[in-house]
Amino acid sequence: MSLLDRKLLRDLRALKSQALAVALVMACGLAMMVTTRSLILSLSTTRDNYYERHRFAEVFARLKRAPNSVRDELVKIPGVATVQTGIAIQVTLDVPGLMEPAVGMINSLPERGAPVLNIPYLRAGRLPQSQSRTTRGELAVSEAFAEPHGLKPGAKLSAVLNGRKQEFLISGVALSPEFVFEAPPGAALPDNKTYGVFWAPYKELATAFQLYGAFNNVALTLAPGASEGEVIAAVDRLLAPYGGRGAYGRTNHPSHRRVDDEIRVLQGLSVAFPLVFLSVAAFMVNSVMSRQITLQREQIAMLKACGFSNRQVGAHYFKFSLAIVVGGVVFGAAGGVFLGGKLVEMYHLFFRFPQLDFMLDTRVLVAATAVSSLAAFGGVAGAVRRAVNLPPAEAMRPEAPASFRPALLENFRAARWFSASFRMALRNIQRRPVRSGLTCLALALATGILIVPNTFRDGIAYVLDFQWDVVQRQTVTLSLVEPQQARAIADFRHLPGVVLAEPFRYVPVELRAGPIMRRLMLQGLPERGTLSRVIDARPAQFTLPARGVVISAKLAEVLRVKPGDEVIARVLEGEEREISVPIVGLAEDFAGVAAYMQLDALNRLMREGDRITGAHLSVAAGQWEEFLRAVKNTPRAAGCMIKASMRDGFRKTTAQSIGLLQKMYMMFAVIVAFGIIYNSARISLSERARELATLRVLGFTRGEVGAVLVGELVLLTVVALPVGLVIGSGFARGILTAVNTETVRLPLVLTAANYAFAVAVVAVASALSALFAARKLADIDLVSALKALD
Amino acid sequence: MTTAVEPIASPPAQPPIEARERMFHARGLARIYGEGEAAVTALAGVDFEMFAGELIVLLGASGSGKSTLLNQLGGLDSPTRGILHYRGWDLGTADEAGLTQFRRNAVGFVFQAYNLIPSLTARENVALIAEISRDPMSPEEALHLVGLGERMDHFPAQLSGGEQQRVAIARAIAKRPEVLLCDEPTGALDVRTGITVLEAIEHINRELGTLAVIITHNAIIADMAGRVFTLSDGRLVGVRENTSRATVRSLAW
Ligand SMILES: Nc1ncnc2c1ncn2[C@@H]1O[C@H](COP(=O)(O)OP(=O)(O)O)[C@@H](O)[C@H]1O
Ligand SMILES: [Mg+2]
Repeated sequence: MSLLDRKLLRDLRALKSQALAVALVMACGLAMMVTTRSLILSLSTTRDNYYERHRFAEVFARLKRAPNSVRDELVKIPGVATVQTGIAIQVTLDVPGLMEPAVGMINSLPERGAPVLNIPYLRAGRLPQSQSRTTRGELAVSEAFAEPHGLKPGAKLSAVLNGRKQEFLISGVALSPEFVFEAPPGAALPDNKTYGVFWAPYKELATAFQLYGAFNNVALTLAPGASEGEVIAAVDRLLAPYGGRGAYGRTNHPSHRRVDDEIRVLQGLSVAFPLVFLSVAAFMVNSVMSRQITLQREQIAMLKACGFSNRQVGAHYFKFSLAIVVGGVVFGAAGGVFLGGKLVEMYHLFFRFPQLDFMLDTRVLVAATAVSSLAAFGGVAGAVRRAVNLPPAEAMRPEAPASFRPALLENFRAARWFSASFRMALRNIQRRPVRSGLTCLALALATGILIVPNTFRDGIAYVLDFQWDVVQRQTVTLSLVEPQQARAIADFRHLPGVVLAEPFRYVPVELRAGPIMRRLMLQGLPERGTLSRVIDARPAQFTLPARGVVISAKLAEVLRVKPGDEVIARVLEGEEREISVPIVGLAEDFAGVAAYMQLDALNRLMREGDRITGAHLSVAAGQWEEFLRAVKNTPRAAGCMIKASMRDGFRKTTAQSIGLLQKMYMMFAVIVAFGIIYNSARISLSERARELATLRVLGFTRGEVGAVLVGELVLLTVVALPVGLVIGSGFARGILTAVNTETVRLPLVLTAANYAFAVAVVAVASALSALFAARKLADIDLVSALKALD
Repeated sequence: MTTAVEPIASPPAQPPIEARERMFHARGLARIYGEGEAAVTALAGVDFEMFAGELIVLLGASGSGKSTLLNQLGGLDSPTRGILHYRGWDLGTADEAGLTQFRRNAVGFVFQAYNLIPSLTARENVALIAEISRDPMSPEEALHLVGLGERMDHFPAQLSGGEQQRVAIARAIAKRPEVLLCDEPTGALDVRTGITVLEAIEHINRELGTLAVIITHNAIIADMAGRVFTLSDGRLVGVRENTSRATVRSLAW
């Protein structure tokens, strides 16, 4: 090993705690980058492989009923490769051990042969077989539903098929590329307790619903190079006479979109946080190296006087920062792999893949190393250039003594009361405004970084309150199998314990503005309901007008429209119809996107008389069980969504996963804040060692000398804190915007507690760093600190 | 006519100056720092020659331009005006790479502040320079030459000032330089320690025939030199040739 390298190692050892602080900050940024990029790789690779192996379709369509012969015409559409038709139908379930009714979406398996598209993956047991061979009907159940109910092959389950209750045997547990994310149609959040996906043989299902020889569900793949838009248009034309509800591609497929959104969130996170952390690390490398180079000014001069070239001297100091980078990369990669392995498990809460393993994105490691090396080199380039450009004769002379002036603040009358230590601190800050400014900025960044994680937590808390206390105040939502006369509401009112019932009508629509379109449920609600309410950003309740729709603010953003604009709504149910409706307001909501309309107005548009598809109910707590029992025996009620279990589901899935992210980011933020502050304290200690030693020689006590150092840090911190709170709020806004998707959003909630926490961490970090510095101060050998003085 | 017989009893210690190789050659050498009103004339045009194997002392008050001159000789700095040749090679117009090579191969430096690398031991400090030289002596040999065979594995902080300075000299000579330049090598040392350091320099000068240039503002030290250059206000105001060089030990400080 060359001797310069040995010097490097020893210098590093002397600077180990600072080098470690910088490496850790860098590691935090890299770990986040490695974690998120690896999760993106894991999710997208797993998904793509799954899609390919299990032949996930590319275009999907629902319709009322078409004879099987139509299938041949679908095959003939130019650009269509493979077609699979079948039946998908929603039924009410009676699950043993579950008080409330559940809803099952039963998909048919082909009558002959194996499925060719959306092929189920069997986790346990086997696919259901026709009744001819077994005595009882069989169903395969999705894993997402089977797990919370403990359903295993051999278990029994009742379902109401077309008004007739029938008992089924669970033959197997399965997954499907169509239901990686399994949520009720139109719902943004999973509800695996009351909604499940099933598979049954075509014959049984078709017979039960008088659909034998027909289909109501289409999945198809495209030939290479085919235009999805053209195929969708052709399918729509073909299926329109059969009650087609509009075909759509993968981008509008709820499960696919949810996985996509998750990847988009990760992409946002993989850039935003690491960017901030790595820039902080670059700044720290710069301050450490500048200081080191200043301290070694004479050594540099000697090396050059002895014939070392600028390149050799420059390389020496670059290696120094490279050593820090290597440390950062090693810690960062290890941390990233560890956290990635943990976080990938979190996705089992949402996504059902045959297997989801953590895959380390090795390319990101290379990129991360390159990025942080660049950041570090960018950080030291200036200092190194200055060092090697210094003519050696110049460097040999001790640095010119700094010129001090009374600090500006001392012009004020109150300045008389400033202590000598405080004055020295003030003058020091003023003497090196750039350095002080940068330290202040670093402290502000430390504060700001601490704000972000808690906005996740506070956002979740807000959503939990807002979505389920302010917006949805019903106890339960019952939906009907088919739209019914408005007087059906009376049936609901008569259920035991019902205090209040408000009708609604959901109509599946496609909202279009220019080239962008979204499919969703257009919700017809009472003009100003008390149970399910439409709330704006203020937040205040909307009174739904007789004309026009209120849509989610996020939907408006996606469609690029604003209140006053018109959108085209294509009704995907019953008679094909397109209407243009004005947007009259933007609603504040955090899960999925929605469009709301006055119930009467919607019914006028639909021209089918006064109809409802369900009701929001407020049920007295004392009669809850009685109520549920009654609902189970109401054949017309197709679905029952209990608010408490929705909220619980949210808490267990979204909230839990965001909670995990919050903890991870909080840990990083605390490390970074400590790193920055400790480093600042060390650097100002080193810059002032001689001066402080002189003060000690002059008879100042250790406490008084410490006060100068601490005073400076405190002054800078006091200035930095408010700036940091502003910066942090900006970070939080930026990051939440980056991770907000159509499926789940978090509002920006900035609480006093959050600010107080950030301030407290920075204060504790400052105090500890000051303590460290004060301990170091005691180590300063007065004689040797002064010996080099000329 | 008697045959001219060389007096065997007192052979000249060294051949006459003019017979030796001319190492440095300066004409009108000037160095001015800064510009305009703030300009400081550190060297105001000096002429001199220095020859191989000489031991030269630069005398002068503080600020008279001694260090400036030494830095010019060592290629640490370039002249503002005038000519400075080293063995016929023009130092004044040499580029950075040329000067680096010059310092690396021909020059050994000793500074008042030692400038040892604190994180390297005595041996390593010497070996560091040996790493970049063409034909270095071993660090052990160099340290023996300055009488520091014992303490080779100590860090600078564990050595006294005189010892540190001798390490610096060992470092300077390990590359077998043609020129040894010492800027107030004893400035920070007491008399006894200063003597050991000067002895080391004199030893190198005699044994290796290295041209040694020593800066001091102590006139008594000058007696050890072959020639004494006196500087004042950036001018070379006197060159004195000592008929006999005093040994360091005999100098009355
Ligand atoms: N880098 C510099 N910039 C400006 N003035 C300088 C510089 N180096 C030396 N000087 C000035 O040049 C003069 C000679 O300096 P120097 O050669 O160091 O003197 P000596 O070594 O004889 O004490 C002094 O007046 C000094 O202040
Ligand atoms: Mg000098």
